[in-house]
Amino acid sequence: MKVRPLKISFGILSLTFVLLLDACQNFLDKNPQGQLTQASFPTTSNDALSATIAAYASLRIWAYHSGGYPLLDIMSDDARKGSNPADQLPTVGPYDNFTMNTSQDGLDRWWSTLYQCIRATNVVIIYVPTISMAPEIQTRYIAEAKFLRALFYFDLVRAWGNVPLVTVEPAPLALKQSTAAETYSLIISDLTFAIQNLPEKSSYATSDYGRATKGAAKSILAKVYLFQHDYANAAAIATEVINSGQYSLEPNFADASGQNGYNGVESIFEVGALPVEDPNGGGCQYANTQGIRGSPNRGWGFNRPTIDLRDSFEPNDPRMDATIIFLGEVLDGVITLGDNTTPDALYDANNNLIEIECYNQKIWVPGISTPEEWGYHKRIIRYADVLLIAAEALNESGQSAQALPYLNQVRARARAGNNAILPDITTTDMTQLRAIILNERRHELAMEGHRFWDLVRTGNAGSVLGPLGFIVGKHELLPIPQTQIDISKGVLVQNSNW
Amino acid sequence: MRIKLLLFFLLIQFFGFSLLAQERTISGKVTSKEDGQGLPGVNVVVQGTTRGTATDLDGNFVIPLGSEDNALSFSFIGYKSQVVSIGTQTTINIVLESEATNLQELVVVGYGVQRKSDLTGAISVVKESELTKIPNFNAVQSLQGKVAGLQVFNSSGAPGASPVVRVRGVGTFNNASPIYVVDGVILDDISFLNSGDIQSMEVLKDASATAIYGARGANGVIIVTTKQGKIGQDTQVISVNSEYSVQQLNKQISMLNGRQFATVYNQILPGTFNNLDLLPNTNWQSLIFRQAPMQSYQVSVSGSNAKSQYYFGVSYYNQQGIVPKSSYERVTLKFNNTHILSKHLKVGNNITVTPFQQQTSPDVVSQAYRAQPTAFPYYPDSSTFGAVRNVGNPLASLAYSNNFNKGIRMVGNVFGEVNFLKDFVFRSSFGVDLQYNKSNNFTPAYIVYYSDGTPSQQQNLFSDLSKGSSDSETWLWENTVTYNKKIGDHHLNLLGGYTMQQTTNEYINIQGSNLIRNGADLLYLNNPSYFYNQTTSPPINNLGNIGNGVDPNNYYSMMSFLFRGNYNYQDKYLLTVSYRRDGSSKFTPTNRFGNFPSAAIGWNIINEEFMQTLPAISNLKIRGSWGLIGNEKINYLQQYSTITSNGTTSPVLGVNNSVNSGATFGVSGNPDLKWETTQQTDIGLEIGFFSGKLTGEFDYFRRQTNDILVGLQPAGYFGNGSGSRITYNAGSVLNKGLEFNVAWQDEFHGVRYRVAFLGNTLHNEVLTVAGNKGIDSTLVGGYLADGRAVTLSRKGMPIGEFYGYKTNGIFQNAAELAAYPHDASAGVGDLRFVDTNKDSKINASDRVAMGSPIPTLIYGFSFQVGYKNFDLSADLQGQRGNVIFNAKEVVRPDPYNFESHVNNYWRGEGTSNTEPRPSFGGYNYNVSDRFIQSASYMRLRSLTLSYSLPKTLAKKIAMNQAKVYLRGTNLFTFSKFTGYTPDFGSSDVLANNMDTGTYPVPKIYSMGLNLTF
Repeated sequence: MKVRPLKISFGILSLTFVLLLDACQNFLDKNPQGQLTQASFPTTSNDALSATIAAYASLRIWAYHSGGYPLLDIMSDDARKGSNPADQLPTVGPYDNFTMNTSQDGLDRWWSTLYQCIRATNVVIIYVPTISMAPEIQTRYIAEAKFLRALFYFDLVRAWGNVPLVTVEPAPLALKQSTAAETYSLIISDLTFAIQNLPEKSSYATSDYGRATKGAAKSILAKVYLFQHDYANAAAIATEVINSGQYSLEPNFADASGQNGYNGVESIFEVGALPVEDPNGGGCQYANTQGIRGSPNRGWGFNRPTIDLRDSFEPNDPRMDATIIFLGEVLDGVITLGDNTTPDALYDANNNLIEIECYNQKIWVPGISTPEEWGYHKRIIRYADVLLIAAEALNESGQSAQALPYLNQVRARARAGNNAILPDITTTDMTQLRAIILNERRHELAMEGHRFWDLVRTGNAGSVLGPLGFIVGKHELLPIPQTQIDISKGVLVQNSNW
Repeated sequence: MRIKLLLFFLLIQFFGFSLLAQERTISGKVTSKEDGQGLPGVNVVVQGTTRGTATDLDGNFVIPLGSEDNALSFSFIGYKSQVVSIGTQTTINIVLESEATNLQELVVVGYGVQRKSDLTGAISVVKESELTKIPNFNAVQSLQGKVAGLQVFNSSGAPGASPVVRVRGVGTFNNASPIYVVDGVILDDISFLNSGDIQSMEVLKDASATAIYGARGANGVIIVTTKQGKIGQDTQVISVNSEYSVQQLNKQISMLNGRQFATVYNQILPGTFNNLDLLPNTNWQSLIFRQAPMQSYQVSVSGSNAKSQYYFGVSYYNQQGIVPKSSYERVTLKFNNTHILSKHLKVGNNITVTPFQQQTSPDVVSQAYRAQPTAFPYYPDSSTFGAVRNVGNPLASLAYSNNFNKGIRMVGNVFGEVNFLKDFVFRSSFGVDLQYNKSNNFTPAYIVYYSDGTPSQQQNLFSDLSKGSSDSETWLWENTVTYNKKIGDHHLNLLGGYTMQQTTNEYINIQGSNLIRNGADLLYLNNPSYFYNQTTSPPINNLGNIGNGVDPNNYYSMMSFLFRGNYNYQDKYLLTVSYRRDGSSKFTPTNRFGNFPSAAIGWNIINEEFMQTLPAISNLKIRGSWGLIGNEKINYLQQYSTITSNGTTSPVLGVNNSVNSGATFGVSGNPDLKWETTQQTDIGLEIGFFSGKLTGEFDYFRRQTNDILVGLQPAGYFGNGSGSRITYNAGSVLNKGLEFNVAWQDEFHGVRYRVAFLGNTLHNEVLTVAGNKGIDSTLVGGYLADGRAVTLSRKGMPIGEFYGYKTNGIFQNAAELAAYPHDASAGVGDLRFVDTNKDSKINASDRVAMGSPIPTLIYGFSFQVGYKNFDLSADLQGQRGNVIFNAKEVVRPDPYNFESHVNNYWRGEGTSNTEPRPSFGGYNYNVSDRFIQSASYMRLRSLTLSYSLPKTLAKKIAMNQAKVYLRGTNLFTFSKFTGYTPDFGSSDVLANNMDTGTYPVPKIYSMGLNLTF
């Protein structure tokens, strides 16, 4: 065998350099596999639809709902932590008696998730206008995103007060907190845009139910005004919703929050979900977190209605039994036996009854296993809430008499034809009526996440929650998550007294 | 592509021999001047080339020659080298004269081989005999305590778990593992190799040694050279090794027994357990651990003729775990060949093919730790599993677990070498690493019931089956030219080259449920159904989720240019410079290429004439090096900002609850990423006395890593989602220390002995965790299962420093509670946390550093004593100066069992000042120094007694060597740690030394037999 070493060497060398030159062009380019990059999305009208649709999916994230656990009810006088006594005692337990600290579990999760939700809306608001597409659809998509952005900021501003206001993507470094007033101003401008550009619920195809509507935007805006004590605007907008003819009360109180009322007449904005134990498969864990623990096994059993809530209902108010699942209660043919590791009754050191094993019935759906609860549709806002907003706003604006019909509509539905209970309210004394409306909100909307903020908003938190540990001037707002302050190197300022 | 490659390898394998052409050879015998006996292992090298061989056991050698070869050089440790011109001779017999000062041992370096005396870098060599001194699945395990500057620890004691390796400390916040170069193929892991097939492992530590590996050398390089037939062997060598071992748990963790647990429980929730005498007392640890066998067998054949060398090995390894349903089984086939085709051309291959199979047990170790002792393993008078509240019954978990994976890995290369223009050698090598894996996990439908017949939460209503399949293909093409020239006293060696590498992979996973029956024949899925209504039962053999994609950590390409020059004057003055330029697909085009230079000098003082006056000193050398090396072990996606489109971005809309598919921005990437760069300086001293009886090697090193690639949590308002991270070039870390390796060997009245002590000190310090405002400037890590973080890496602290409250006794009474600042949830009988910032409040800002997971001293001792045919050897290794965080004790969302110290709980004023009043969790389980324990330990790593049959006797039964041995591994560990073993760690440098309930490393008793024919 004749070998010419020089020739071989130079042959291979020159071959490698030819390959090398070719390789330089693209050998080191490795594009993401199976994923688009943000440089190429959203750029088409289809992308615009996908991005808009995705903003709604944020509502199914577990931590969107007050960080996962129903902290807002647990912090109120309506509910205790729930589950068995030891379960999540160090993590969720402190919210029960206001001993949480600045790095308490759930704070950072809720905060970061709300901004994740906001980012999905900013993608639409910022990029969809640059896409060449039918202008009418384009504007509607932006309006839908603005509605959602307002909804998310409304949670942020109520929970934390001064928060960074992100309206660009990507968000700038070292962003300072805006004042609550600035955030409310963005919320109002977003909702106003949404009201101008969204169709009413009746103009949507039934396959689009669940998307933002003019009525939903108005309802949230009415509530925003209420939280700002702007009662004139709150009353005006709430009345517009009432007069729009788009909504009415479910005849049966249980359907207002239950399965039969999904996308129903009372539902103004709700979160669609499928009975699949996986967020990636359409499930939402909001109800599973609160579902009956033990037998039947429906969930983790957090958010246990308090004895105080049970006893606060007016005599024979059917809503009490429709709000609380008691042990031994038979629902849809299934008896509630509860959890082995949870005592049926808990007493304090002085032998006072402080807790009984019971569960939130508002999130109950028929069935015997856990997946059904993942399919529960949480109502973000329903018509009864709007009626009570209108009643409260009118009363606060000095139009107490005009408030009564709206309040009494809610009571009439609750009494379900039994005229012996829940008599119509007739007083027009503003102070008396104020207390009555707040109480009505508690009973109508119990365990739906409203009570804590209602108490704070109306200045009653100190007197009602004080015995539970609430400190006026501190606990109206949650602490800014310690992690976020650390990351900002002190740019973010902690709330007062934390 | 794959099939073609395979065919190519097979062709080389089978037709290699027929390509041989006849050339001139020269043979001879090397003897020692002192006793006239043949000298085995003498290096015989054709002068001016790197071609060479070693003499056999009797001192014989045969070496093929080209027509231009004109001289042979003979070198051997402790003997003076000789160069002999060949002329027309066909036989050369040489007598070598002893000279202990001349260390001529050859050391494998990156892209070449050097004499040890010519080295300017810090390189530790571990020979084959050390690699099989413990029963091991991965040869790296045998390096523990054997190399100064190297830390090896176990991530888990489970069969098939890879050890974690750190060279000279922890130099980065991300992947700090070294790379492995197996016969020239660059890899991340060598678990496919059988230790018995390895000739030597070289650990390259300083920049002079590693900079030739550029962007991948920053965390050290371990070169693995596999065995090859030795040229000059006139016969084949057949070697048979077998070893059988029994493994068992070292010790149990001391937990509360049933009665103690119930007493503590009643203290917390009075009246829960009414009759303490009737309670079960279950020791869960005794139930889940077992004695388990481990076996290893190997047969190899090696040899050579004038033109060819070959090595063929087949080995089988089988380890059953000390937890049932965990095992690892592996067959390794090894083929190494080299053929000299002509005087200019040499070709060869090194190939390993490794099929393996593994079973993984569920995490019953932490389950058994938590399980209440008052629960029944089985209900009395029945064989049904007892329900265990909160954690489930570990025995049921084991019974229903069927987790398997199997695969095949093939690593190898083919190469050709051409020498031309007398002093040049061109080498081209094409290597591959092909991996194919399959996993198969099945859980049958089952329910574990409470004694009253109600179902517990340990249940699986429908059987689950998941299957996975993945493949990974790497190819590496390296081309180098070497120029080697000696002119008078000047010796110059230059190397230049260019390499390309690409790694791709893909996986497919499917999951499904509700199989029609349990049973191996029925584990298939065939009934696709998405979003079925889970409120009814899923369809039979339902096929649920499917996943398909690439593993982003294993998808990249690289292109590199490399250069090295070695200059040596009179064997006294040494100079090495090297340079590598690497391009990686992991960075955007602007930052794609990085440059990695190094320079080193050495002075062999022993070769100076004035040293002749100091005969006691047999070796003296100083050397120093400086260089830049890189690290790029991040996933390829970090530069990209991606779009997420899946079920989580798809809302359910409409009255019919339809999933509408959406897509939105996912996690942001960082397009400005570039290499992280390590700057390392090393100063070394090598010294020998009394003809090499006493040797010492000392190195001081300082490595500083800058621009560390690290995933930092951006501000929540960036909207990346809860807990997500973005990779930045942020931070720098310093590691410095002193390495030492001292050995004494001698013979005393027929007793051979050797004593060695080696180790290193280590100072690890985070210099900065930079980043702009808006990015975390401290690096929080070590997340517990409940989300709490335990480590904080920040300026002035070691990487992964534990961080939490400092405790100071217990609140003995209400007055004391009132007098001290305390958390709202603290009460009398609870731990007192120190108000370290003196703001009269106890909150997160009072947390302080609690100790480092990184040892400040790592050491190993070894002792060997031999007399006649008996040999006894003992290896000890250990570490000092670091701590363990007992994470398994801290995460307590539910009432779990307690460690036995809880029995001494505070019962009232003055009863205890260390053990608080009992609670299931909460305040006293805040992250505090209560859970910090010393990680210092010293362990008898191995103890071996062997007996070799006398050579004359062995020869009678046609054997060269016959040896039997008894061996104990991990027999004793001196440590105060309450867990199973103080020797563990994590590949995550921010979550190191946290005992989360790690699968324990067993104690092993072995018996073995080595035969050579």
